[in-house]
Amino acid sequence: MSNIIRLVWFDLKPELKPPVWIIMEWAVFLVQVGVYGAIISQIVDITGLDYRQFFAVGLVIMITFSMASHTGRHFVEHAHEGRLPYLLSLPISRSQLFLTIALQGGTELALMLSVPLTVTLLILGNLSLVSVVACVLALFWLGFGVAGLMLGFSFIAFKSSDLYTAIVTGLSAIIIRFSTVLYPFIVLPSEYATAAAFSPLTYGADLVRSILGFDPKFLLNPYYAAAVLAALAVSTLGLGLVLVQRLVEGVKSA
Amino acid sequence: MYAVETNDLTKRYSKKAYALKNLDFTIDENEVMVLLGPNGSGKTTLLLILATVLKPTSGHAEVMGLDVSAHPTHVRRLLGISFQEARGFWRHKPADILRFHANVCGVPKEKRDTLIDNLLKDLELWDARNKLFMHLSGGQAKRLEVAKVFVHRPKFAIFDEPTSQVDLRGKRKIWAQILRLREEGSTILVATNEVREAEFLADRVTVLDEGKKVVCDSVRHLKDSITGGDVVELEIDTPDVQTIEQVLSRIEGTVKISNSGENRFKAHVSMAESWVPKMTDVCYRNKANIVSIRVTEPSLDDVFLHFTGRALREDTG
Repeated sequence: MSNIIRLVWFDLKPELKPPVWIIMEWAVFLVQVGVYGAIISQIVDITGLDYRQFFAVGLVIMITFSMASHTGRHFVEHAHEGRLPYLLSLPISRSQLFLTIALQGGTELALMLSVPLTVTLLILGNLSLVSVVACVLALFWLGFGVAGLMLGFSFIAFKSSDLYTAIVTGLSAIIIRFSTVLYPFIVLPSEYATAAAFSPLTYGADLVRSILGFDPKFLLNPYYAAAVLAALAVSTLGLGLVLVQRLVEGVKSA
Repeated sequence: MYAVETNDLTKRYSKKAYALKNLDFTIDENEVMVLLGPNGSGKTTLLLILATVLKPTSGHAEVMGLDVSAHPTHVRRLLGISFQEARGFWRHKPADILRFHANVCGVPKEKRDTLIDNLLKDLELWDARNKLFMHLSGGQAKRLEVAKVFVHRPKFAIFDEPTSQVDLRGKRKIWAQILRLREEGSTILVATNEVREAEFLADRVTVLDEGKKVVCDSVRHLKDSITGGDVVELEIDTPDVQTIEQVLSRIEGTVKISNSGENRFKAHVSMAESWVPKMTDVCYRNKANIVSIRVTEPSLDDVFLHFTGRALREDTG
């Protein structure tokens, strides 16, 4: 276990000295909620819904998605920047290496979410230990599912990093836009709603909003959403673990 | 028991691209084995399989009696590898990288810092110890890469082209460190296409070509195995050049002799160390005075050419 923590800390440390990128992400979030959120909530008018609050939760979901995708990409970077052969030669098992990647992703996600989630809960007037813990758990399930998905795709990168970038960029755009991150399910056009049912973000966003007390008529059943997220996280992480244990080989330095 | 043993080891990257073909290979304990071969000969693939970074397509490989496929984590506890390309943690400093590596590999804390400081000084990285990895020169990065193994001091140390991009002084320091590691009991495997490095370090050399073992023996035996590989250049003071040439050509071990000047001869012989005494005896009996003599033994380049039919560096890119 100590080697896992060493590896996580070693990889994470330079990013925190100073944590410019995290502060920038927080600043972008604050601008989006403060400025863009104020404007868009004047434009989008859904009866019974405070769209600014809805939008703030959507931003938190997008940050979660972005960080979870980053975890998958980080693994690809390990391979392409030559770190993967080194990591694979260290006296740690493949499962421990996988756990390291997951733990680092989780730590980065927790750091990145700390301010946006607090601000969102303040906007909602719902800042309590229970709501924080419940939201974090839901967001982590979503994060695990997305990270597992991206890790699965990362194996494409061993064949072609261009293809990987194209697929992940395209998929990210689709997953975010065709979801309930920015608009509730019931106002989506039927074709759009059908596509949104396949986006993991739909279930993450609706589960978090359920936890935070949004009107259930705008949301999917929270138990259903939680079950889908759990199934996604378990299946994609399980698949990722099997791939790392059985298939992954360091990119042979040429 | 061998320190390293492979049987029928094969690695295929695609249906037709074989990196290793049915390789049988052994390293004795506490031996420095050098893999010699051109680029693409399968050296790096073999190292990466032994280091458990790559998985073999078929066949069997053992390190210290442990199957690399069945017990990879145990194998990794016994070995350290210096990769061909020094790439890695771009935003870290050399001292931090070595400290991290030492910690992960279980180097005792009380020895760690002194060991790292000494290595940084010996490998002339001391002034660069607080630079970021991305700001190191190619030679510095390579020295840092091999330093990881010297910090770890594993039972089985693997070096993939340990001195490429390093200047001559740096090379000598790295070679000295590798030999020191052997003195401490480590088994060492070095892949290189530098003949001088192979000659300096090797107890035995395995010549690889196109994924196959061509030959494996000590440097001395490999050189001796080339018929006519030693070249003896002679200047002999004699009134009867033709007779001397005929007599020299009849000495056992002479492959070819030519008169390259009035009294100068160039003889291609096998095992010059036994040919030269016979030659001096023949000259004495024929009242010919030897004015000068120069013996040139074959290089490992010649060995490679002899066994594979092509030069070691002809396809080096």
